Amino acid sequence: MNLYEFEGKTLFKKYGIAIPRGVLVRRGDNFALKYNELGIKDVVVKAQILSGKRGKNNGIKFCSNADEVNEACGDLFSSPICGQYVAAVLIEEKLAIVEEYYLSIVYDTNKKQPMMLYATQGGINIEDVAEDRIEKVWLDVRLNTIASTTVRSGAPRNESIESVQKALWNCFLSEDARMVEINPLVKTTGGNWYAADAKIAIDEDAFYRHEDWKALEPRTMLGRPPTEREIAVKKIDEGENYYRGTAGKYIEMDGDIAILFSGGGASIANMDALIKTGLQPANYSEYSGNPPREKVYALAKIVLSKPNLRGLWIAGGVANFTNVGETFQGIVDALDEVKPRYPIVVRRAGPFETEGMTLMQACAERNNLNIQLFGKETSMSETAQVLANMILP
Amino acid sequence: MSILITPETKVIVQGITGKEGAKATKAMLDYHTNVVCGVTPNKGGQEVEEKPVFNTVKEAVEYTDLMDSGFRQNDTPHWDSTIQKKLVSAIYVPPFAAKAAILEAIDNHIPLINVIVERIPIQDTAYCLAAAKEKNIHLIGPSSLGFIAPGIGRVGVVGGPLVNEIFQPGTVGIISRSGGMTNELSWQVRQAGLGQSTAVHGGGDLLMGMAYADLLRLFEKDEQTKAVIIFGEHGGSYEFEIAEIIKNKEYTKPLAIYIGGKFAKLLPEGMNIGHAGAIVERGKGALEKEIALAAVGVKIAEHYEDLVELIKPFA
Repeated sequence: MNLYEFEGKTLFKKYGIAIPRGVLVRRGDNFALKYNELGIKDVVVKAQILSGKRGKNNGIKFCSNADEVNEACGDLFSSPICGQYVAAVLIEEKLAIVEEYYLSIVYDTNKKQPMMLYATQGGINIEDVAEDRIEKVWLDVRLNTIASTTVRSGAPRNESIESVQKALWNCFLSEDARMVEINPLVKTTGGNWYAADAKIAIDEDAFYRHEDWKALEPRTMLGRPPTEREIAVKKIDEGENYYRGTAGKYIEMDGDIAILFSGGGASIANMDALIKTGLQPANYSEYSGNPPREKVYALAKIVLSKPNLRGLWIAGGVANFTNVGETFQGIVDALDEVKPRYPIVVRRAGPFETEGMTLMQACAERNNLNIQLFGKETSMSETAQVLANMILP
Repeated sequence: MSILITPETKVIVQGITGKEGAKATKAMLDYHTNVVCGVTPNKGGQEVEEKPVFNTVKEAVEYTDLMDSGFRQNDTPHWDSTIQKKLVSAIYVPPFAAKAAILEAIDNHIPLINVIVERIPIQDTAYCLAAAKEKNIHLIGPSSLGFIAPGIGRVGVVGGPLVNEIFQPGTVGIISRSGGMTNELSWQVRQAGLGQSTAVHGGGDLLMGMAYADLLRLFEKDEQTKAVIIFGEHGGSYEFEIAEIIKNKEYTKPLAIYIGGKFAKLLPEGMNIGHAGAIVERGKGALEKEIALAAVGVKIAEHYEDLVELIKPFA
């Protein structure tokens, strides 16, 4: 999960990385008042978004009085930036910068260990920095120390930078980050180093050792606040048995075909297959790992609650250990309540497939559903076409 | 032959007394795989499927040594000449206990570890992979349902109860990031009248133990395997490694791949959809992977169902 800049900076501060003084404003706040309370004349006003390059997309403004701040904030809140919903605006002191560097730590998936990237050019995309000007150091998660990385081709050591690097590594490990980035890391005319920006992605699977993550506000990267359905589905996998089968994945989309996929791989292949037929998904959803009936029911109920649906595609591969009977019972529980009138296509196989299909058939009969059932003899993509033929003129 | 598993393979199940561990033990035994014993701390002395349960991996390994002292001389497995025992640990524990369990297997020199556990924190996986690498120990997973060599044995639950309907010995190697798709592709192979040499579910996490390239190198050496099919995904960068080993001629057999998640290019960078490792990255999506692989002669399937047709002439 990506954090907002202001959240990332709070973490940086915790690990001893200096950040500019600033104040966060939300929609409806008195922007001018907050600015005056901050008491700094020249400020940077920055949209808080989860992804994208703000600098090139009017997401950052420079102001020197309350009127300008008021206008800038209003402006930033008025529409998405880089396709991202602006959750807040950060008003920060404008630093007197003499140097801009780049520093980040990400997982190198090929080497399967974290990699620190360091460049004495910052404030621009790291992709635009020449490869030979980027220092790369691979780190061992078993060690909380790092070797000096600022020494290169005879350049003198930069101990201030090295202490920021150590702090950032400490932050990466302690906060279970998937990536941390400071771009730019700036030196001011006063000779101090500050994190002028903060990008952090946390690893949500480590939630059980981070009680404080519970306080993070709900978010989505889809250019709008998360919907009620998205927030509700997320709760399905919470609690003690969070790892015993998952059913908490749901993304609301613009189309009108409800989706209940099983299996992470099958789900993405099926999204591609559905779109190829000309149908558009109303959502993405996926359950897997043999979730209990109750979890699948909760997910199905929410998937079917979206208005103006024109079809439902329930599809999964040949399951290894997910009980098709029990998971379908959860879907049937929801179908019995909702009794959809639109076409439904089911494709599934695996353990207890006969029980699952019998349950589905009986549900169709008692509710007079317009449904077609397929087992493993018909491929998933073919059944997408069946659904398209049932719906499209 | 096959890869990763032979008739001599012995399996220890860590977390054998849990619901999924016990189920997997039965699934392996039903497929005539030699599950020797299991481990669950504080449950030593119990039995699961008539197999003894020990408190520690150390005790389990000692017991395994005792059981197979008969035919271990000069018995070096093919996946790594330095590995002296054909011993596999299959790990079925909750995610917060996974790191300790994997490290215990590593400390006891188990050469091949299958980690079924889903939702292990990335840092814990990185820790275990670093420790394993130092000892030349291989991990399949995390989030891997296991692997199967039809007619020889299976580690984990790949195939489930339908295993004999889906799998039969043959010449096609299968690698998938998805457990369901491992089965689904294997079924497509079977429907086409072919069989599988070994099918491996590598797992869908950001960090994979043995990735495509590692497994393809094994398939290259395996005489039974004539061609390989892969279910790939938009996230991660492991698909690009395939192009490298083909260029280096480390892998030369026919290969067909399907890469799911083309729709993901419409999603913002950094977004996760599908498996845990399926994070949207600009310039590293499904399309870019297809282009890189097509350039080195890999056959690209538009639908996953087309994979079998693409390799059928070679199998």
